[in-house]
Amino acid sequence: MNGSVIGRGTVIRGNVRGSGSLEILGRVEGDVSVSGELVVGEEGAVRGNVTGTHITCSGAVQGDVRGSEAVLLERGARVVGDLTAPRVGVATGALVKGNVRTDGEPALAGRRAGTAGAVARPIALPARPAPAAKSEPRHELRAEAREEIVDSEPSAAAPKEMAAREAPPPPVVPSLGKGAKAKKKKRED
Amino acid sequence: MAGTVIGEGLSVEGDLSSEEEVVVQGNLRGKLTSTDAVSVGSSGVIEADVSAQSLTIAGQVTGDVTAAERVDLQAGGRLIGDVKASRLTIADGASFKGNVDMDV
Repeated sequence: MNGSVIGRGTVIRGNVRGSGSLEILGRVEGDVSVSGELVVGEEGAVRGNVTGTHITCSGAVQGDVRGSEAVLLERGARVVGDLTAPRVGVATGALVKGNVRTDGEPALAGRRAGTAGAVARPIALPARPAPAAKSEPRHELRAEAREEIVDSEPSAAAPKEMAAREAPPPPVVPSLGKGAKAKKKKRED
Repeated sequence: MAGTVIGEGLSVEGDLSSEEEVVVQGNLRGKLTSTDAVSVGSSGVIEADVSAQSLTIAGQVTGDVTAAERVDLQAGGRLIGDVKASRLTIADGASFKGNVDMDV
């Protein structure tokens, strides 16, 4: 077994690093960095930055938490610091004060999937029912656009062009043009 | 199972103080204090002063050692430093360099 444990009755003032998994049930005042799974137990406390592959925290951490695979905060976890991992989970009852970022090294596959999702979402969004105020003109617009696509070659730009053509004309605002006052004055003369 | 285990591959730099059993299979540099038993496994390397209730050494320890009860230096173990304990055993095959104070 290559698992390390920092027991309840143990306090470490200094840095802990290395390979293998680590379970912290006691206290560490310093940075913790392992190349394996890391667990901070309910009564565990770390005052320093925490790095590992898969980090599960039910205790207290005052510092940044960075997992190359995942960071999971269980119920009762207290973290004051930033969370960074491709996967971040925060359970109900966990407290976080800091920034959360879901990215990281082995996220390459995950990140690609994320980008795909980000692209897919804006496409999917217009399909959702639009707010009541805007719904009517939009329906018309979409119907027109569909006809256009059937008539000509289906291009992605078509709806955009349609939108530009279908835009309402600029409002006619009755106003005095440049030199209108002078003209008026002349006419009176 | 022991309360605290510094596994093989893990290294601690700093003070470790404990109220429970400590097993060191990895590296420790700094200071180690325990009110319970401390054992240094065959892969354990300690560069620190150690004070414990009892101490068993099968790995390497460089530093002064104080035990309230006893110090056991096992075969294959290596200790460079002074020992202060009322009981001390040094197994055949162990390496030791230092002074011994048995409180007499």
